[in-house]
Amino acid sequence: MTDESTPAASTAEPATVQASGGEPHDAARLNAITKSFFGVPANDRVDFDLRWGEIHALLGENGAGKSTLCSVLAGLYHPDSGEIHLDGERVDLASPQQALEHGVGMVYQHFRLVDRFTVAENLALGHPETGFVTSRRSLERQVAELGRRYGLEVSPKAAIWQLSVGEQQRVEILKLLYRGVRILILDEPTAVLTPQEAQSLFATMRAMAADGQAIIFVSHKLDEVLEVSDRVTVLRDGERVGSVETAEADPATLARMMVGRDLATPDRTRATAGGAALSVRGLFADGDRGLEALRDVDLEVRESQIVGVAGVAGNGQRELAEVITGLRRSKRGQIFLGDVDITRASTLQRIKMGLGFVPEDRMRTGMAGGLPLASNLALKAYRQPPLSKGPVVSQKAVEERARSLEKQFDIRGVRWAMPTSLLSGGNIQRAILARELSAGPRVLVAAAPTRGLDVAAIDAIRQILLDERDAGTAILMISEDLEEILDLSDEIVVLYEGRIMGRLDPDEASPEVLGMLMAGRTVDATPETAKDTA
Amino acid sequence: MSLPLGAFELTVERQQIPSRLVRMAAPTASVAFGLLVGAVIIWASGQDPILAYTEMAKKGFGGRLALTGTLVLATPLILTGLAAVVAFRMKIWNIGAEGQLILGAVASSGLGLWLGDNGIGGPVGIVLMLGAGALAGALWAALAALPRAYLNTDEVISTLMLNFVALGIMNYLIFSSFSHWRDPGRATFPVGRFVDDSMFLHRFTGRLHIGLFIALAAAGALWWALRSTRWGFEVRVTGDSPRAALYSGMRVDRKILSVLMVSGAFAGLGGGIEVGGVLGNLDPRALSLGVGFAGIVVAALARLSPIGVIPVAILVASFTNAKPGLQVLGIPSEIVTLLEGILFLCIVGGEWFLRNALRLHRRVGPVEAAAS
Repeated sequence: MTDESTPAASTAEPATVQASGGEPHDAARLNAITKSFFGVPANDRVDFDLRWGEIHALLGENGAGKSTLCSVLAGLYHPDSGEIHLDGERVDLASPQQALEHGVGMVYQHFRLVDRFTVAENLALGHPETGFVTSRRSLERQVAELGRRYGLEVSPKAAIWQLSVGEQQRVEILKLLYRGVRILILDEPTAVLTPQEAQSLFATMRAMAADGQAIIFVSHKLDEVLEVSDRVTVLRDGERVGSVETAEADPATLARMMVGRDLATPDRTRATAGGAALSVRGLFADGDRGLEALRDVDLEVRESQIVGVAGVAGNGQRELAEVITGLRRSKRGQIFLGDVDITRASTLQRIKMGLGFVPEDRMRTGMAGGLPLASNLALKAYRQPPLSKGPVVSQKAVEERARSLEKQFDIRGVRWAMPTSLLSGGNIQRAILARELSAGPRVLVAAAPTRGLDVAAIDAIRQILLDERDAGTAILMISEDLEEILDLSDEIVVLYEGRIMGRLDPDEASPEVLGMLMAGRTVDATPETAKDTA
Repeated sequence: MSLPLGAFELTVERQQIPSRLVRMAAPTASVAFGLLVGAVIIWASGQDPILAYTEMAKKGFGGRLALTGTLVLATPLILTGLAAVVAFRMKIWNIGAEGQLILGAVASSGLGLWLGDNGIGGPVGIVLMLGAGALAGALWAALAALPRAYLNTDEVISTLMLNFVALGIMNYLIFSSFSHWRDPGRATFPVGRFVDDSMFLHRFTGRLHIGLFIALAAAGALWWALRSTRWGFEVRVTGDSPRAALYSGMRVDRKILSVLMVSGAFAGLGGGIEVGGVLGNLDPRALSLGVGFAGIVVAALARLSPIGVIPVAILVASFTNAKPGLQVLGIPSEIVTLLEGILFLCIVGGEWFLRNALRLHRRVGPVEAAAS
């Protein structure tokens, strides 16, 4: 494959170095990093270099080794072999604390903040200079100062649980800046953000780079990488494929480097929708904290139709899926499956009536992660023949059915008695779909169907959903991925704070309009939203 | 997690699930290591470890009397072990096998006495008597299970506290009242009335009675039920992920209730068998020796396998059986208790080493800077 990161490229003086001027060394240089887990290399002799003042994107599919490489640099994993140089000095990072002492910090996908503490308290927590008695006021002043400098506006006095996900991410970045981090690793930071929040994050990243700091930006979204990075390194199957200057890169080349093949775009054919299969009328429900999570939601999904529910996580999507599938009680309103009112029906009754569900939490809700896949594939069908006769479940029938579903849905990597949680995300999601679709559902609720999956798996899952729609199933697809919503939906609704902010035809919707609605802004073009602002 | 050791540092890294072979070999290696540690301690206390081990084996298994004695001691342990296995498989922490066993003994002896008073005995009496034990254990467990299933109270606390209530009930029936259970003829030291001889469990050779085979059958039944029934499937799924169980339409509340009641039934049956096979009456001193708690240890050592409970219970029982004999030889019985503890720690510790790896690094930073 191409390897454009020539010695010449790395010795060229980066134009952006200013504040750290005069530093002759790269911010970080990783030589031939190898890290294996039980004989399987997650990183295989990976070289990586990071210059001061640059935003360096790390691109690759799931399982390409991005997270492992970042974790090695952040001190979380110790490499089996290879060297790490930070600012020209060889180091051995035995713990994240040591990495922090060397100025390397990582923002993980799952935030590590104390919910009940304020922003300032979270920053003070674990900071070496935090004494037994600390001045709250000076702390808060410093936090505000840092925030202003990099566009990370967040109230230092706010408790974490009061903040949106985007704001919490800012706190994570602030925490690292406050610790004096100058090499910042962001692991898929935009996965949880609205387009507007992502833009604001990019502005922060640019401000930091202009300040001379070095940023590693992990992503599998091409557009973002092209938009924000100065350089891109692509990993595939644990190996470095190559590095390119972003200015000289184009999406097709990058995608090929990443996948090793050209991407297939899902067909945008529309099926002709039939009668109403799922109707939701005036639905209200509470969330986990007892706050109202759904407010007067009206929805209709017809046969052979995909209705996409767009929205930023935490705006009622999970509650909507749970109320429809019977895992959560509604307070008011009605749910119909065809003509039948299922508002008070049990989960089991709904399953038997042909309601399938692909939950967003695959490992604990969609699967019992510790059990073998064969058991998980039988999760719903175990009640009827041929899997069970009376009270007795036939282990043999369960295994046989699993074999045939694995073949039919191309589920790979299954070994006997292996816990399902050890399968890759793509295979787990294929398995959930295999189980739900093999029941021949009338209505399928699919929440975040491709989140966290690699490109090949995303393509496959989307194609399965489209085929299922064409076969007549009504699909309610809840997704935070706008492109997915735009590509697959026959109709789009936007959820914001438990309300439907707008209904759109995907052909007329742009990411900008959707993004505005998702962020709770009303858009003139959508008459539906008029009543909410009134 | 890291531990500084001079210029080095010890860190812990999580491992992925090891292979089947390693998982099978680990407990054996752990037991061997535990015996080795035990040998060192025995040697350090001035005893001959080889003599101690051979004597333990002899007193536990050597000869008909030793062997049947061990098996008789193992019988209630198997049942309380199964009680722990079925509950722990679903991550329901039933710490109340002790109390459930006592209530089982109370009900068995109570019904046994009543049947005897009314001229019923023999096999019918035995079946009714043991059934009453199992039922009482199940109902006693239900006292903790109902609030756990429907109000989500903590079953650890409730089952634990119910042990003391059960103990109080038994002591009251024998020591503090002239109840149906107490022998009125013995005024000096209160004892329980004996059930009719026809309701004693059939004895084979030595002290071995039919209860062992009931316990073995119970283990087989639980193994089969967990593996091959819809109920067992639901227990496995609920134990692994209650959310996945709800998601697939299972009634988690009923599963909690049924699992805790089955667990209580095993312990209660154990109490009934002790009355019918060993004691013949409600004997508070013999029924409060911690067999219920020992069942938890047995279940843990058997890695929650119903079949694995059998050999583990027999091994633990052999230790108990060997204690008095060792004392005669001048080896303190505490050595045996110590060895039980060491073996338990080694097996639990072995589990930890399966999942984590220790790694020694050179320390960097201040230490290295000072050195260079």
